[in-house]
Amino acid sequence: MSLRYRLILPLTLLLAAVMAYPLVFSAWISLHDYRLTRLYDVRFRGLDNYLYIFGDAPFLKAMTNTLMFVAGAVSLELVLGLGLALLLQRLVRFQNFARAVLLAPMFITPIAVGLMFRFMLSSELGVIPHYLRLMGLGVDWFSADLALFSLMLIDAWQWTPFMLLMFLAGLEALPRSPFEAAKVDGASPWMTFWHVTLPMLRPVILVALIIRALDAFKVFEYVYAITRGGPGDATEVILFHIYKTGFRFFRMGEAAAMAFILIAITLVLVVILYSAMQRK
Amino acid sequence: MNRLCKWSLTTLMTGTAAVMISGASLAAELNIIIEEVPDYDIVKKLTEKFEAANPDIKVNFDAMPFDAMRDKILTSSLAPSATYDVIIVDNPWMEEFSRAGYLTPLDDFIKADEGYKYDDFIKAVADVGVVDGKTYGVPYYNYALGLIVRQDIFDDKGIEVPTTLEDYVSVVKELTTDDFYGAAMQPQKGYKIMEEWKNWLYAEGGELFDENGEVIINNDAAVKALDMYIDTYNTAAPKNSLNWGFDEALRAVSSGKAATMLSYNWMLPTLNAKGGMSGDLAGKFKLYEVPGGKAALGAWFWGIPANAEDKDAAWKFVSWITSPEVAKERVIAGGAPVRTSVINDKDVWEKGFGKDYYTTLQGILEDAAPLATGPHAEELIEIVGTELSAAVSGQKTVKEALDAAANGVKRTQ
Amino acid sequence: MTNTVGQSRLASLVVALVVALAIVVVLFPFLWIFLASIKPASVVALPDVWTFSPTARNWNDVLLGSDVPKNILNSLIVSVVTVSVALFTGAPAAYSFSRYKTGAGFRFTILAAEMMPPAILILPLFLILYQLGLIDSLMGVILAHLTFVVPVITWFLIGFFDDVPRELEDQAMIDGYTRFQAFYKVILPAIRPGIAAAAVFGFVLSWNDMFYALILTGGESKTLPVAIAGFWTFRGIDMGKMAVAILIAVVPILIVSFFIQKHLVRGLGGGAVKF
Repeated sequence: MSLRYRLILPLTLLLAAVMAYPLVFSAWISLHDYRLTRLYDVRFRGLDNYLYIFGDAPFLKAMTNTLMFVAGAVSLELVLGLGLALLLQRLVRFQNFARAVLLAPMFITPIAVGLMFRFMLSSELGVIPHYLRLMGLGVDWFSADLALFSLMLIDAWQWTPFMLLMFLAGLEALPRSPFEAAKVDGASPWMTFWHVTLPMLRPVILVALIIRALDAFKVFEYVYAITRGGPGDATEVILFHIYKTGFRFFRMGEAAAMAFILIAITLVLVVILYSAMQRK
Repeated sequence: MNRLCKWSLTTLMTGTAAVMISGASLAAELNIIIEEVPDYDIVKKLTEKFEAANPDIKVNFDAMPFDAMRDKILTSSLAPSATYDVIIVDNPWMEEFSRAGYLTPLDDFIKADEGYKYDDFIKAVADVGVVDGKTYGVPYYNYALGLIVRQDIFDDKGIEVPTTLEDYVSVVKELTTDDFYGAAMQPQKGYKIMEEWKNWLYAEGGELFDENGEVIINNDAAVKALDMYIDTYNTAAPKNSLNWGFDEALRAVSSGKAATMLSYNWMLPTLNAKGGMSGDLAGKFKLYEVPGGKAALGAWFWGIPANAEDKDAAWKFVSWITSPEVAKERVIAGGAPVRTSVINDKDVWEKGFGKDYYTTLQGILEDAAPLATGPHAEELIEIVGTELSAAVSGQKTVKEALDAAANGVKRTQ
Repeated sequence: MTNTVGQSRLASLVVALVVALAIVVVLFPFLWIFLASIKPASVVALPDVWTFSPTARNWNDVLLGSDVPKNILNSLIVSVVTVSVALFTGAPAAYSFSRYKTGAGFRFTILAAEMMPPAILILPLFLILYQLGLIDSLMGVILAHLTFVVPVITWFLIGFFDDVPRELEDQAMIDGYTRFQAFYKVILPAIRPGIAAAAVFGFVLSWNDMFYALILTGGESKTLPVAIAGFWTFRGIDMGKMAVAILIAVVPILIVSFFIQKHLVRGLGGGAVKF
């Protein structure tokens, strides 16, 4: 075997063991009525799990919630991240300090973020609702209408830094000449941004969007720490739904089928996003 | 890596190892999974006495929050050699775990155990531990729901504490002002709203299933009970409390922001404790039966896994901790009673929280029915609890929510 | 600062103010949690208390009287072992991908693995670990963490290997090294900062995971994030103690992450974007 393949061998073996085998096993589970409480009676169901899930209102609701969450949170982070990156670039002093602080949230464990905000946004003990009330604003952050949005805000607090990081690097790497040309032509800052900066940043934006979106599909900790999917099913997201189906109700077959549908949907989205960005 | 494996293997194998080492001396080590609740602190203290009396048995508690327990019990039960020799089982899990074959029938142990007085357990509670005629669990403590009120407010205003749901609703509305609420409620989805609303359902004569096992959670009684619940939430409960669970509701009552709540009966001593969470309000709370009289019953049970290594040692502990004598000590220390003899014991009244409390409690327990039954009760609670919460938060109409709940429940059966 | 155009003092001031506001938004939660950790129990639940006599009680209780030190140790072991395995398997592979442009298929596999939702792996992993008797063991959590740390670290390193000039390697081989020797004696040291950044990033990912650990651990092998979640219990949230646990989980990570910020972008791009 040539060196190039020998170098890959350990990785291939490891990934085969911890990923490929579980994936195949998972596919097998998804075709069976596989319940942890009835391991002695695992029946083949063919595609029944999949067919059932497509008509299952709670699953569809969880999927819708997740898609809304991903779209909302990621666009919020994109706009905020880009804005902050442009501002930070123009900051005259303390640029390094500001950057180091602003990047901090993306490194900390999401469960801590969830619990911190649960505490700070609680209608009874929270510091934020308290001062909002003093200003005459009674906001119920975790009402049926607002809860999913509040989770998006929390996600934005934690992950806007990621966008910021990517865009700062992207901006720094841009060539100087197009900006000088724009200046000579007397373009306004807004026009420069719209016609020069943004088009040149497109590859970075694409990568940042895809990485963030895929990550946002995995949202779990905020829901686990704060709303448990409630009120009603307003914040039931897909990973939480799969966790509940598999590990609280022990219906592993259905949970596995849900996971495969999730993969299919994410793949379709990545392809759409990618081709949309390429075409422009 | 070997060292790492060992961390877990030690736990897994303590049972086996203990048996192997013992041979001659019959030493045993019992690993017990248990929920971190006030009653656990008491059990842990009492267990020191057990270990002193049984030097050949060592007891290790693995205490954890509720959320972590279910899959841990499951994994232990699936394994060839159990991690846990004794487990505690919540009432919704009783049928599920028994039918799955995870639990040892205890009837023979009970029969052979002289002076155990199984019949002394309050029947409504003990019956939950019996599945298909076999006893799989003996009661640990109850968490039946009661009505906790600020007696001083009712006395000042000269209002009778309501005994019917209709009266309760009108009284709590009357007590509500701009910054004071008649009822602190817990409409959080899942267990919490189910624990609370089930009492309303009973008061209106509803149930989850009729006697033929048909789902009737969307009948007229249920619709009326949910209508009233939502009306009360909107008019007499603290604002923005849609996600409140037991914890937030209790805090509202203890800090003087609300006059009543439906809660676990044993929160009363906590609320009334001098120097406790209620501050100056300590001593002003009183326990009553829930409006309508029939309460949702919660209870935990001791069980011995079918794959436990040393069932005799396990029963020795379970029998000891639930025996009439130790049960009495546990209740005097603040535990929630499950034995008739203990509830009626003068000693318990004096050293505990007074005759009134225990008499009321007996009334609650005698007419209480389990939160949910059947082999899929956990899922049922989650499904119904989600739909209830959706109705309270206005995402669905009452009828829509209850129909969806009924369909969801049918599908689990 | 390539495209900074001259800006007025007013503009500079506005920029500074907005950035300052952003910094406050980022820092306030940390400040509030720190205050909660040193507040006496009687005021921790009050949203408007800013002055109080600080207490070390929560810190004492958590550090000396709880399982948290054990949870920290568990988290440390899991993260360090996971990252080491990931580096040993990932670095040679990343080199191969970078140098030989080994099949785009392989490269894509790594990316796909990185994107794999945990939901799909947790079910089979749970069942496999149960059959191996590894539920509630650090081994189990490590195996689970390898599924996301290995692809990320490999992907990360591809970008750094791409940046190494080919001549460096050719020179080494002229000097008599075999290709493999050239790899580990010349190339690896040349990207040391990249490896350090990848290691730290992998460590952070593993340290921060709660999903896998929640399902796979029990009393013995509980990691820190799971322990933090456990402070929200039936008895209500013990806010003070939870604040301490949160700070313990967060502060060390913030410190180490500070050193890798510079390299993070190169790594995340993984050779897919050129900046």
